[in-house]
Amino acid sequence: MAETKEKSLSDEKPKPRVRPIVRLGIFLISHSFLVSIVCCTAGVLALFLLPVLAKNTYISENALMPGSASPMLSNQHVSDGNRLVKDLTNPNSKSSETGIESHKIIAQYMLDLGAEVSFHKFHPQMNQFHPLHFFSSPVSGKIQENYSCSSYGINTVGIIRAPRGDGKEAIVLVTPYNALKSGFGEALSLGIAYSVFSLLTQVTWLAKDIIWLVADSQYGEYAAVAAWLREYQTPKFSSLSTPNAEMCPDVNNLFELKGHSISGSKFSNSFRRAGTMAAALVLKVRDQNEQFEDTISIYAEASNGQMPNLDLINVVNYLAVHRQGLRVNVEKLWPLLNSSWLKSLGEIFESLAKVAKSLYPKWKFGIPATEYVEGTATLASSLYYQALGVPTGPHGAFRDYQVDAITLEISPKFSLDKVWRNDILLRGGRLIEGVIRSVNNLLEKFHQSFFLYLLTSPSKFVSVGVYMIAFALLIAPLPMVAASLYVDANSSSNCSKGDSSTPSAITDTDEHGIAIRSWRWLNSAKLVFIVHLWGAIVSLLPYFISQIPDCSPTTSFMIWVLLSILSLLTLNSVLASPLACAKATQEKEWALVKSVTISSVFIGLGLMSVINFATAEIGALLMVPMCLLARPLKLDVRAGTLRSFCRLICNLVLGHIAFPPAAFFLLKGMLDGFGNANVGDFWMWVESLWAWNSATYLFIGMVQLPCWVLCVSILFHTC
Amino acid sequence: MEKVKKKIGSFSFWNWVTASIIFRLILIYFPKNLNLSSRPEVSTPLTSFRRLAEGYWLKQSFMSPYAGSMYHGSPLLLSLLGPLTINRIEGQPNHLLYSLVSVIADVVSAMLIRATGQNLRLAYLRSLESLDLVKQIEVSEFLFSGDIAALIYLCNPFTIVACVGLSTSPIENMAVILCLYGACSRLIPLAAFGWVIATHLSLYSAILIIPVIFLLGCGPDSPPRKLFLQRHQQKEVLNQSKLPPRFSWGPVIHFAFWAFLWSVYVLVLCGISLKQFGGLWEMFKSTYGFILTVEDLSPNIGVLWYFFAEVFEFFRNFFLIVFHVNILFMILPLAIRLRHRPCYLAFVYVAICSMLKSYPSVGDSALYLGLLGWFVNELADMQFSLFLFCGYVGVSLLSPVMHNLWIWRGTGNANFYFATAMVYACLQIVLVVEGVSAMLNHDRKLRNLITGKPQDAKS
Repeated sequence: MAETKEKSLSDEKPKPRVRPIVRLGIFLISHSFLVSIVCCTAGVLALFLLPVLAKNTYISENALMPGSASPMLSNQHVSDGNRLVKDLTNPNSKSSETGIESHKIIAQYMLDLGAEVSFHKFHPQMNQFHPLHFFSSPVSGKIQENYSCSSYGINTVGIIRAPRGDGKEAIVLVTPYNALKSGFGEALSLGIAYSVFSLLTQVTWLAKDIIWLVADSQYGEYAAVAAWLREYQTPKFSSLSTPNAEMCPDVNNLFELKGHSISGSKFSNSFRRAGTMAAALVLKVRDQNEQFEDTISIYAEASNGQMPNLDLINVVNYLAVHRQGLRVNVEKLWPLLNSSWLKSLGEIFESLAKVAKSLYPKWKFGIPATEYVEGTATLASSLYYQALGVPTGPHGAFRDYQVDAITLEISPKFSLDKVWRNDILLRGGRLIEGVIRSVNNLLEKFHQSFFLYLLTSPSKFVSVGVYMIAFALLIAPLPMVAASLYVDANSSSNCSKGDSSTPSAITDTDEHGIAIRSWRWLNSAKLVFIVHLWGAIVSLLPYFISQIPDCSPTTSFMIWVLLSILSLLTLNSVLASPLACAKATQEKEWALVKSVTISSVFIGLGLMSVINFATAEIGALLMVPMCLLARPLKLDVRAGTLRSFCRLICNLVLGHIAFPPAAFFLLKGMLDGFGNANVGDFWMWVESLWAWNSATYLFIGMVQLPCWVLCVSILFHTC
Repeated sequence: MEKVKKKIGSFSFWNWVTASIIFRLILIYFPKNLNLSSRPEVSTPLTSFRRLAEGYWLKQSFMSPYAGSMYHGSPLLLSLLGPLTINRIEGQPNHLLYSLVSVIADVVSAMLIRATGQNLRLAYLRSLESLDLVKQIEVSEFLFSGDIAALIYLCNPFTIVACVGLSTSPIENMAVILCLYGACSRLIPLAAFGWVIATHLSLYSAILIIPVIFLLGCGPDSPPRKLFLQRHQQKEVLNQSKLPPRFSWGPVIHFAFWAFLWSVYVLVLCGISLKQFGGLWEMFKSTYGFILTVEDLSPNIGVLWYFFAEVFEFFRNFFLIVFHVNILFMILPLAIRLRHRPCYLAFVYVAICSMLKSYPSVGDSALYLGLLGWFVNELADMQFSLFLFCGYVGVSLLSPVMHNLWIWRGTGNANFYFATAMVYACLQIVLVVEGVSAMLNHDRKLRNLITGKPQDAKS
């Protein structure tokens, strides 16, 4: 398209036969300024319209049939659960220092029900920085660490074999439990799980094995679940190769003791497995609560913004609301709830919808302003947690093995009452039972409903087909502006050459001009490539900096900044001084650099939108205006018109905001207030990102930072 | 740009070569982390190193290497490269020896490309001289296309990935380049050897016989013969020595003789090595037959796997014929239009094959992108260069991500990956179309310079 226009410009007489699609392309490119303004505005507007466009969730997989059977969990099971809670909260059981007693109690309870029980001993594994993790399978490239016998955790695992199943599939129920300092909530979650478990040993409809994992959360809930899953999915065939928790003498002693004290033939010391996991539920009960009614919070975000199948959330939501009368919550960005501008925006949308409805009664798309504000707050938090790429709970570990999992956190309205405790046990237990029964009905993996979606409320979602429109509108101007800049740079240089030469030598210069013209962008491409290479180096630096012992976050950050600047200067001098090259030859060189920069940003954003949509969307909001507006400051100062002055101001502001640390502090300040901002915070944040193998980290290092550097170099271009 | 390129050409060519070799050696030391040899973009059923090792193992245990539809390559490769799959050096990466062989193959290919490129450049300058266009086209601005092509081949990420990913495509590419080099420098036995081996390793190289015949018959690329005649008509002196030679059948017959000799030799060798395992028929069935019937439908960067996974069994044979005839259809028109530029014709053929072949890999793209470097002077005003470049970068980044989304995350499906394959195919089509039209425009421009017409009659 680009060249076609150029051709038509260079030719004296316009050709009559131009294909319509080419003509459309030429039209768009020649009006790229207007088009980009319209597209960007529409993109931002579409983003704010998403809560209005959200659809109600529906259960897509027919086999699930939630709530079709009446719950079988009776008071008998509840009192069983109550017994376990009492035993666990009994001060006698906490006498042991390692908390082994409580695990013993749980194991004994499981054995009494006739389940297979085993213990899984694990060492908490630190998350390692591994930049290639995203492209490989989750198990490859795990680095073995030196184990010490001082720290280990014990997961208790109980397995019910399904009477009707073939043992090929399983459903996992996880309750995090810290034996050393367990709150009442944790004991209660164990009680709920136990009452369900005791029911499931008796039922006849079970077609999938049930695994109940009591995850030892003294080293974090995620670490325990991840360690168990790793063991489950990657069996080790040689015991000699890796040092294991089993080798520690004191651990073995403990388990020998246990072997004597626990009666039951189904206890085993080896690792027990069931079939492939169909779904996993993580159950938690919160200790304190400020809510006025029983609520249940759903956490679904796993690493890199992956979500479980929407059907799983639907089933939980349906059963909780329509069967158990619980209020279902998903995470909201609280500061947004009170913002007045959002409320007025909601009112505008509402009134617009009213007008539309009065015009044509079938147009019903409006939602009330309060609902809009809540939807936006939920959507914002959905975007935020997906963009971070850090799992919001232990369910994240399952997603790495393609198992759909969510965390359910029950927040009861008040505590310590016996009747109330039975009530919460009954309702929570029935909810879990219903979900398990639904999943039990599944014939295939979860595949019917969406994997790519954003929630605006527990029962409303925006699917990929809708939110991609907003993103596509936002980045649509990039290729157009790149093409128009490219064409302008080429044609202008061509003209100036033609003017300066004498008519007799016209063929000569034309020849020369052509030879340069078509491949002249290579120089700019080289500059862009070098800056991206620098971005890759910058993203690898924290790995080495983190090896320095006893380094405070602030100093680490400073070292990082220094090393980054140093490496930029080195690259600059070694690889044919990119910044000097840019200003060397032609006056329009900056336009070519900008054109190639925009192309690379377009590729980067497009790529990221596939990996993690939320990151790409937030990145696009920052980077697209900066890329589009970038223009040498000197030119704007020289022009001296109002328009160029505005652009100057915008450029300066955007140049500050789009710098990744600045954007981070700005966002943090907006959410938490600017009072306690610290330079080291950014380092801590980055460290958490790479510890969780978040693709956002790579995005910031290899797309956003290079883009910022290139834009700043365009701003300070001497022409 | 020209300054930069000249600098590359004259001073730092060897630096870049060394740098690319060192970069390959560094990557070879991290094979586990990169895991390139299991990527679908790099290793197809035909070029996979693991299949080669499996075939060798089968042969060592006195079974047919083609048993179990694992190995589909040549039996000669088994004898030559097979031992390298087992030999290990203590404390070194597992397949170090084989990796070194592919690095050497790459460097040899690059050197051959360089020599051929220099040949082509000299031939081009000579023909310009005989057309008296040397003054009008600044010859001093001419780039060293051989050096550029060799560097493009060596520094291309596709070549590096194919080399480090332990595929056999560096060796296949070397055979093709050997054939073209031999034909350009009129080493007929060498050309015949390269052609026979290239055809033996990957069936599609067989169509290179047409450019090779043109190369041997009338010499390397030059402007159309008509131009020379026009020029000399203008001057009214018919200087026969300045005219390009007419088509001569001598070298072609010579070539046919050598090609026959080499193919008999190769077939005898294959027959000996497969004597106990079903003989040559077995080999044809599981190499050429496997290529032509598209039996393996595991995803790759081509478009055929998806199509044949979808198509009804009933229509399968019909569509197999349609897809393969697609390549054959393009041979004749291109040969007629580009007969005066046989090397460029070879580039176009290689590009078309890598687009339409049943099991394409990035190694094939590496080959034709390298060959493209020969024609930097002629293709200086090619259109869409930035678009094509960005497209290649984008697709080669997007394709692994889509694969990950489909296979590892389970949130995508086959359509995601196939979409990138289609975009890739479209990019290749645009490259071929724009390349050919730029070359024709170049010829037109030369004609206009001779006849003295104005420049603007470009298309």
